[in-house]
Amino acid sequence: MTPPCRIEIQDLDFSVEGKQVLQSITLTLRDRRIGIVGRNGSGKSTLARLVAGLVAPTSGTVRVADKDLSRDRRAALHAVGILFQNPEHQIIFPTVGEEIAFGLEQQGRSKAEAKTGAADVLNRFELGHWMDAYINTLSQGQKHLVCLMAVVAMQPRLLVLDEPFAGLDIPTRAQLNRYLQVYEGSLLHISHDPSDLDGYDHLVWLDQGGVQLSGPQETVMAAYQEAMHNQGEANDLADLAG
Amino acid sequence: MERNVVLIALFAALIAALGLVPKLTLASGIPITAQSMGIMLCGTVLGAKRGALAVLLFVVLVAAGLPLLAGGRGGLGVFTTPWAGFYYGFPVAAFVAGLVMEKWTGSNISFAAGVAAVIGGIGALYLVAVPYYMVMKPAGLGEALLTAMAPFMPGDLIKAVLAGLITGALYKARPSSVLSRTNAA
Amino acid sequence: MISLTSPVRTWAHHWPAGAKLAALAAATFILFMIHDLTLLVAAAVLTAGLYALPGLVFFRSGLGRLRVLWPFLAILAIWHGATGTWAEGTEIILRLLTTVGLANLVTMTTSLSEMIAIIQWLATPLRRVGLNTRAMELAIALVIRILPSLVDNGQRLSDAWRARSRRRPGWRVVVPFTLLAIDDADHLAEALRARGGILETKRN
Repeated sequence: MTPPCRIEIQDLDFSVEGKQVLQSITLTLRDRRIGIVGRNGSGKSTLARLVAGLVAPTSGTVRVADKDLSRDRRAALHAVGILFQNPEHQIIFPTVGEEIAFGLEQQGRSKAEAKTGAADVLNRFELGHWMDAYINTLSQGQKHLVCLMAVVAMQPRLLVLDEPFAGLDIPTRAQLNRYLQVYEGSLLHISHDPSDLDGYDHLVWLDQGGVQLSGPQETVMAAYQEAMHNQGEANDLADLAG
Repeated sequence: MERNVVLIALFAALIAALGLVPKLTLASGIPITAQSMGIMLCGTVLGAKRGALAVLLFVVLVAAGLPLLAGGRGGLGVFTTPWAGFYYGFPVAAFVAGLVMEKWTGSNISFAAGVAAVIGGIGALYLVAVPYYMVMKPAGLGEALLTAMAPFMPGDLIKAVLAGLITGALYKARPSSVLSRTNAA
Repeated sequence: MISLTSPVRTWAHHWPAGAKLAALAAATFILFMIHDLTLLVAAAVLTAGLYALPGLVFFRSGLGRLRVLWPFLAILAIWHGATGTWAEGTEIILRLLTTVGLANLVTMTTSLSEMIAIIQWLATPLRRVGLNTRAMELAIALVIRILPSLVDNGQRLSDAWRARSRRRPGWRVVVPFTLLAIDDADHLAEALRARGGILETKRN
């Protein structure tokens, strides 16, 4: 087994059009299964995109496996994969086979190799017959699975999951989580649902763009759930963002 | 780069979708297909270069055999009629409409876009389509104006006005969405 | 994605697409050179014969595809009727039907992937003037991928409209429709970048 992928975040600030989204975050993560929790708008998705190197920090550094992935996109292709919440935002190609093969081609394999690689991945998921299926004929859960396979095919050391299972029914979630459990690389999983993060090693709780708490899964989850329960009794839904 | 390629593909698909979705109905109850309005919008929203590429991509895919034209038409047969000049003129129309949008920045967005849609989506389009018709049919100028231009003119004028209003509404809802104004290609 | 390729398999499905296109170009050129009515009728009959060869189903679907021409044929008939130039009108209508018929025949017997391969081949020389053929390839795939979800979006918006209005959706629906599409574009561009983007593959 490969060692867990190391994520180092130092004095991270991030703002969009003058609006501060994340501020002064410093974290060193070296566990195999890491969860991120927090309320809507706490900056979870932004952190995921920073870790994946899709955007660069306004100030501070993010290093994954000792590389700055927002600069070194070539290294990023092997280091990290990201799964978004909405598969419609992720799928680029009309058929399942093309979608999975694309990432492999991007990693420098020939068209033929990529095609074989895609077939291998499908077979590993026992879905060989999906190769030529059109994405628009698939169900929502099946589309999620295609996204997962497309990312897994590239075998990144770290898989970033940005609430990929929100809105799915319980059996579909359970099935997708089962695929994730056996993933050899590290996971950084953003989720609202505590059951998604069962058995994880480490949890980070984000609140209003900063780290509220970071530590072992059980401790952080208990504190988070208690706080959420208390806030649910208040009424801050009426507050508009400034 | 990625964003431009995605936008070009997306607007090509948008033109097709405007031909596929149920016809729009004007307040007066007249149904119109929105497809040629899609051509104008490519120019007024995306700007000259991206707009023309989006339309070109659309036209190429129609030629390749996708039924993307209103009514599910497509294929090579579309390109051998004397009216095919319209399809060849589509990318030019979007380019000119986009160019007008990019250059004429002083005016109200809806008005500028409406004028750009008329100059590109009608002026430039017919400047390609009418001579093409005259050569390919073959026909004289009078006949061409009557049989290739007159039947489509009223609809196209309405669509140009709508393209102007839509571009203006897009700008109002989200200024950054009207790329012909926010970051000229 | 539905394409216009005929599900009825014919011998012409196996011919190379390039050869069919070259033959179509030549035939169309010749048809524009011919002004003799007898020859044009012969060409039309020959084309009809080609449609009949694979059987009745193919013939009927071919005929159905010509039906969309009727407004154009009507315009031609009215013009030539009004100006009393019947012979010229007949010639033009025959030529129109034959050239469109032959072109449709190529479309019906050539798969979409073959056509796209031809487009890519035709675009290769344009690489020298800066065309990124990889980007073009991606854009073609993206259109085919995005279109069904755009149509879904349109349907959803129309439903949302109808749920709160007695009238049918008007042109205003196009505004949220376009905004939704532009949002999708941002996400897709990001997804593309997450898997290496376009510029980088050029160096491979």
